[in-house]
Amino acid sequence: MITRWMVRRLDDRLGFSPVARSGLNKVFPDHWTFMMGEIALYSFTYLVLSGVFLTLFFDASTTRTTYEGGYAPLAGSEVSAAYASSVQLSMDVRFGLVARQSHHWAALLFTGAIVVHLCRIFFTGAFRRPRGVNWVVGVTLLVLAIANGFAGYSLADDLLSGTGLRVANAVLLSIPVVGAWAEFLAFGGEFPAEAMIPRLYVVHILVVPALIVTLITAHMVILVRQKHSHFPGPGRTDTNVVGSRLWPGYAVRSLGLLFAVVALCLLLGGLVQINPIWLWGPFEPGSATAPSQPDWYVGWLDGALRLWPAWEPIVFGHRLPALFVPAIVLPGLTFLGLYLYPLLERLMTGDRAPHQVLQRPRERPGRVAFGVAALTFYGLLLTAFSIDVVSKFTGIPVYLLIYTFRVAVPALPVVTGLVAFVLARALRDSGADGFLALTWADVRGALRRRKPVPEAPSATEEPREAAPEEPDEEREPEQAEPEPVRVPAGPVP
Amino acid sequence: MTGRPARVPRVFPLVLGVLVLGVVLASALPGVAATAAPSPAPGTGTAAPPRPGQTQFQRGESLYQSSCASCHGQAGQGSQRGPTLIGVGAASVDFWVGTGRMPLAEERVDAQRRAPAFDEQDIDALVTYVTSFGGDGPAIPTVHPGDLTLGREIYLQNCAACHSAGGSGYTQVGGQVAPSLLEATPVQVAEAIRIGPGQMPQWPEEVLDQGQVDAVVTYVQELQRLPNRGGLDLGRIGPVTETVVGFAGVALLLVVIRRLGKRAP
Ligand code: HEC
Ligand code: HEC
Repeated sequence: MITRWMVRRLDDRLGFSPVARSGLNKVFPDHWTFMMGEIALYSFTYLVLSGVFLTLFFDASTTRTTYEGGYAPLAGSEVSAAYASSVQLSMDVRFGLVARQSHHWAALLFTGAIVVHLCRIFFTGAFRRPRGVNWVVGVTLLVLAIANGFAGYSLADDLLSGTGLRVANAVLLSIPVVGAWAEFLAFGGEFPAEAMIPRLYVVHILVVPALIVTLITAHMVILVRQKHSHFPGPGRTDTNVVGSRLWPGYAVRSLGLLFAVVALCLLLGGLVQINPIWLWGPFEPGSATAPSQPDWYVGWLDGALRLWPAWEPIVFGHRLPALFVPAIVLPGLTFLGLYLYPLLERLMTGDRAPHQVLQRPRERPGRVAFGVAALTFYGLLLTAFSIDVVSKFTGIPVYLLIYTFRVAVPALPVVTGLVAFVLARALRDSGADGFLALTWADVRGALRRRKPVPEAPSATEEPREAAPEEPDEEREPEQAEPEPVRVPAGPVP
Repeated sequence: MTGRPARVPRVFPLVLGVLVLGVVLASALPGVAATAAPSPAPGTGTAAPPRPGQTQFQRGESLYQSSCASCHGQAGQGSQRGPTLIGVGAASVDFWVGTGRMPLAEERVDAQRRAPAFDEQDIDALVTYVTSFGGDGPAIPTVHPGDLTLGREIYLQNCAACHSAGGSGYTQVGGQVAPSLLEATPVQVAEAIRIGPGQMPQWPEEVLDQGQVDAVVTYVQELQRLPNRGGLDLGRIGPVTETVVGFAGVALLLVVIRRLGKRAP
């Protein structure tokens, strides 16, 4: 009663109800893959909440202090305030360790979910017009997430992350011409500089999170304006959206996911150790620990660094350090490629029309091949970051693993890409439900019509794409599910 | 789709079968290698029970001649199959035999920690006998409770680069594995520091004094019993295993949304 009265009063003054009503009526597609982005959104929410708790106890400074907490092997040691407060937070503050660990686990889930979401967008062609803008926003979010993860785990000033910072510093220095200047800007002087931790802190808790929040908002606003895309199916066209309304249908589902994500973060944070900084010890320039790896979202770069041979070519009179290609050129090209992909595909296929209906991955074997090859490439690089650990557990010598990966990283993506191309094409042409329903004849058929260039499906393929969908038109959606809602698509066409 | 004749053979099960076979084979290979590494051949370690009235020296001599002389020579002078033992010192013999590294079953096998082949008395007897060859190698160190904080500092500066900060061991580029320290007894840790087995450097009294060695040993003991604060420790090797768990978490959340959402388009 009172709430209703209050809401009325507020609404009289603010006039929000039309906005709220249309918001609650927004239609969300029902297919489960549309929730991948939400996993990222909710992990980020948890990151902010747990992060606020951490800031209450963390002291971002390199001033030497004496640790006087309950962790005996550190008692009385003189270490940086950042390290001392991180250990204190883990050992002496109630809930501190769970908060720290769940924050770190949430970061792994956040970045992981973004990549999975990106794959869904990629393979279903959801980046096509008019969603190129949101693709760019999304890729930027990925870059920011990676950067913030790196800044975050470097804050504790422990031996492991210090090793990572040392590498990052060397990477910056390896940039020709502007290297020293970049180092000064990022670290505030020669490594290990005093300004390093405070700078990373500002970046980690203010600059990048603010950017992420802004971009997530933009991501959402654009999404609401353009409306969701949806998979092909009966009654789905380029001019409508089919799914459940936010209230009451979709909100319950989404809240369920929020609870699941938070529960998983807390469970992992409470039950599985992550980054035990008290074991790694404080960063000292003279110490080292091995094995030393970064978190996985930087791990592919670490893998590339391990595999790249020690060539130092001279370019325009500058000696290019061996770090330059794997640590600067590789990520540069990676993200450039990601940003430009929608444009490149448009140039290749000549498809400039706006789309509301997604593609099944099989409809574009060339794209599937490219995507699978890229995933193989980065997956192998990421695996390569664990070479020394794998060597320890299998007894295979490190150099053997390195040579194997040096061959596999360029070669295997070609193989997986071709296999994916053939399978996607076999699926498309046979209309089989999934891999399990494929037959040899389907595969042979797909192989026979292999063209010299696997990319760029030609125009002749268009009718075939549509063909298998036709018979579905008559069928009612199976089961007695509540009839999905259909609304016209957004301001687009 | 529905009207499709079910044509056999199906591809995917076959592909899957090949994959599974490959994985099984691949995982079997290290297994083969592991079983090929011989456990101490029966007979090398198990000497006849001590005869009554035998002195410790005589006992040591008979054990040495039956189990060690074939590689290290009748008088410890060494052979192509093993280095000389003259002057290695009591700590060395106690460490190599006490950690089960000696007697080596076969020359080409890397000496690795395993259950010792002799009981404590026999090891003492061997120590007495081998040290009688002469020389002045380090004696078996005694260890006392040391300063934990100092121990952590020395450990991180000197040992973590090879044995990892958590003590769980790590590979060296040279190919020899710096083993996990989680099984070594305090005396063995101190012995290792003094004698520097295999590729490990040696820290004599002038570099690390008694108090410092005690401190390191105390810290290694702390690592061995450190309660797993924060839960399961994932082998204490950092991000590699964390990545595996993190990806499993993402997969779990995918299952969750798969159940929450619908499968039909
Ligand atoms: C199959 C041959 C073989 C047998 C049997 C054998 N050893 Fe060894 N021993 C070796 C080899 C080879 C090394 C060098 C190992 C290394 O450095 O990794 C070694 C090293 C040692 C060392 C260290 C020497 C140094 O320079 O530090 C000691 C001590 C030792 N053995 C004692 C023994 C004793 C005691 C026995 C009998 C119980 C024994 N060994 C039996 C082959 C053998
Ligand atoms: C250069 C790398 C290196 C460093 C540094 C090093 N170790 Fe080792 N350590 C090794 C290797 C290699 C072995 C195995 C030797 C063998 O089996 O022949 C070993 C073996 C040991 C063992 C025997 C373990 C067992 O259970 O059998 C102990 C104990 C040990 N080290 C302690 C230490 C301590 C304490 C320090 C620091 C003071 C240290 N190590 C520093 C490489 C290293």
